[in-house]
Amino acid sequence: MAIVMISSLFQSGRKELAEALAKKTNWPVLSREELVDRAREQGIKIGRLEVAMIKTPNKSEKLAREKELYLAFLTSILCEKAREGSFIYYGRGGHLLLPGVSHRLRVGLSTPQEVRVDRTAQALGLSPDKAVSYLNEIDEDFDKWIRFIHRVDSRDPKNFDALFNLENIGLNNAAEILSNMAQMPEFMPTAVSQRMVDNHYLSAQSRLRLSLDERTSAADLQIHADNGVVTVTYPPHQEQFRGHIPAVLADLKGCREIQCTMAETNILWIQERFDPTSENYKQIIQLSQRWGAAVELMRLIPPGEGEDATLANTDSDRAFSRRTCGRPYDGGVEDEEPETIYNDGGLYRTKEDLLGLGRFGGLHTVCGGYSSILERVQGNGQYAMVVIGDMFLSKGQSARTRQTRELALNIRDRLKAPVITADEMKSQLLFGKKQAVTMLVFFAVIVCIYYTVFSHQPVLFNFLSGSLHQNYVWLSPLVLFCFIPLIAYLWGTVTGLALKIINID
Amino acid sequence: MHELLSINYIDITLSVALQVILLGFIGGILSGFIGSGGAFFMTPGMMNLGVGGVVAVASNISHKFGKAMVGARKHAAAGNVDKKLAAFMLATALVGVQLAVWINSFLFKGGGGGGHGAPKGAGANLYISLVFAVILSMVALSMLRDIMKSKKGGVDGAGPSMKIAEFLAKLNLPPVIKFNVSDTKVSLWVLMVVGTATGWLAGTIGVGGFIGVPAMIYVFGVPTAVATGTELFLALFMGGYGAISYALHGFVDLRLTMLLYLGSLVGIHLGVYGVKVVNELYIRMVTSLIILLCVVSRIIAIPIYLRQLGFIDINASYDQYFNLGSKFFLFASGITGALVILMKVVQAYRHRRKIQKTLLVVKEPAMNRTEAVEAI
Repeated sequence: MAIVMISSLFQSGRKELAEALAKKTNWPVLSREELVDRAREQGIKIGRLEVAMIKTPNKSEKLAREKELYLAFLTSILCEKAREGSFIYYGRGGHLLLPGVSHRLRVGLSTPQEVRVDRTAQALGLSPDKAVSYLNEIDEDFDKWIRFIHRVDSRDPKNFDALFNLENIGLNNAAEILSNMAQMPEFMPTAVSQRMVDNHYLSAQSRLRLSLDERTSAADLQIHADNGVVTVTYPPHQEQFRGHIPAVLADLKGCREIQCTMAETNILWIQERFDPTSENYKQIIQLSQRWGAAVELMRLIPPGEGEDATLANTDSDRAFSRRTCGRPYDGGVEDEEPETIYNDGGLYRTKEDLLGLGRFGGLHTVCGGYSSILERVQGNGQYAMVVIGDMFLSKGQSARTRQTRELALNIRDRLKAPVITADEMKSQLLFGKKQAVTMLVFFAVIVCIYYTVFSHQPVLFNFLSGSLHQNYVWLSPLVLFCFIPLIAYLWGTVTGLALKIINID
Repeated sequence: MHELLSINYIDITLSVALQVILLGFIGGILSGFIGSGGAFFMTPGMMNLGVGGVVAVASNISHKFGKAMVGARKHAAAGNVDKKLAAFMLATALVGVQLAVWINSFLFKGGGGGGHGAPKGAGANLYISLVFAVILSMVALSMLRDIMKSKKGGVDGAGPSMKIAEFLAKLNLPPVIKFNVSDTKVSLWVLMVVGTATGWLAGTIGVGGFIGVPAMIYVFGVPTAVATGTELFLALFMGGYGAISYALHGFVDLRLTMLLYLGSLVGIHLGVYGVKVVNELYIRMVTSLIILLCVVSRIIAIPIYLRQLGFIDINASYDQYFNLGSKFFLFASGITGALVILMKVVQAYRHRRKIQKTLLVVKEPAMNRTEAVEAI
């Protein structure tokens, strides 16, 4: 069973490649245009979203809801198709849909510009010059669309499994290669990837229902699904929707439990193993309670842990591949075979504890290296903070620190959200003894500075504007240039820490 | 007190100090909530306390400089600063700041007084007040128009109009510069005009953000978060440059700057907290109404300067009434705005204090477990 997703620029031959592959394999073909037409029939205003996203880079609350609805619609149909069997999808940014589903074969195309110009001129009846400027505009819109919808660079090769240069290879041969690639073990569905499809489907279905039902359509919701459990997070000022959420999702197929959490924002906590008695957990809870945030758990299962030997055939495969990993957390569903009880890395206990505190915001399990994490976080909502806990545990201390820092930088780039490590969390965000001492010392310094300035005003006037200033005209500007930020820093730190004590930050 | 008190600086009594701290506090709340300035309240507020226009602007721009340094660091950490755009804007903005400092200094030293024996600074006060009233009226009215459009339901939620940005993009005036962080392309000529205007406004009334942020959003097509972060980054340099330039002329009153900090750095935390719990339409509406009231306040004070410059003939004893009326509107706008924001902050705080238990609904599974496992 294969999922082939072809993405390319306008008039680059993606449709022709999809058709050639379909001819060889008899797999059904789906296009983005087809799905968009179906979405319009359902009343989803795709055109408005496209115009707004391309022309207006400012995302409002309502536009964000429309984007989620659009993605949910596409995801839902693709998941339905994936459950039926193999299929081919082609369209703008198709390779970025269904993130985390490892048996997708993501294909990119590079087509000579002159070919694209000819095809465009022919298709639209334009002169070659006009076709060139038309292509330039549409390529720019394409890039913008991908960045706004998926938050990635549309041409980043890391997001593809195969890239064909059609200048050097014919469509039929490319299709032949793809049909063979799709049979390889790397692109065969596994229990994990199938579970991922189910999760995407349930999450998308929940989103569609909640967005299209008039009782909840105006709500700003974060939705996650994992193994039949749907977690919905809503902001405090939309508490009125809480009662409607379970009602709207009441008879949703595949949903065995709904959890609604009220939260002003979300904190994403990424870690390899979770433990509700750990220091990290206590700090996260302290932070989430202060911010009124829900905590979303993301567990990284590193490559090699519970590895499926069939996927990595040789040592060199193992050296490069980051695709293989063990089964994810199964949400507490008892396995029929007791000997295969899975180590969930403490997720279940942590989840139960967070539920008890009313701070649970969903969970994910990600297999592979940190590119897998980046792929998973890109489609998620806004986070007030991303906390990177204990990661890369199999590495030495230095390598762990370096890789954690690299991961933090990558996630920050991708999400445009503050990212900190567990170590930084305590020093920067929480109030402990060190912060209390800092606050008192800074306060004492501030008192001294203010006392000195206000008790020596004549000297100050002389310095700022009097004879001293006339004699040394650059002295006061230079002193002010250094002194003013110092005051701002000292007093800003004191007020920030003082407000932290009463949980306002 | 020192002879310079009568020239540039006012005598700061306990009552005046408390009023300046209050101005800083309200300005800080507004600044944290609106995300831009707060100077539109603090500058005229200080003028109402008897501080000369130039000294008020100079002290406020110095205050803004330190604040921007702290704020820009946070925005940079969140990836909201387009340093390339800021560098281009800065080069031209410094020209604007210098132009503003030159005009203000010229007017303060008697230029524009018309030889009517006007008190020192009256020309500068009138000039600052007029610029303030005209520019901020335009900002507030365009914000209100956007809100009305959103409420009518047109392309609501689509954010600010991009008509100007699209028009300029079509003109395609070379050289065009690409900005990756903002994901936009802007003609160098447009950058120069906007940069100079931002600098001039920052140097004139200390509220460059009110033209810089909308210009980046509406004219360049920069995302809102990046516009705010980049403006703060820019304010750091412009504020620094402005502070040095005014300090060279001896206009910065360090005492006022320090007193403003006492209030503003508390208020700003509360304002930022308020943003997290209020929807964006409400934020825009509160902002525009506060700005409009500030404009009214400044307009009421204009006859005083016109009289001092001899342009109109009214009894000098009326000055106190104009001043009182101006003060009333200014404080009414600031205090009302701050109270509305504080009310929201308290509401949110109470929400947090309540332990919100997760609502757990366990349903009958739509398919039984065996089916679920088999499906995998």
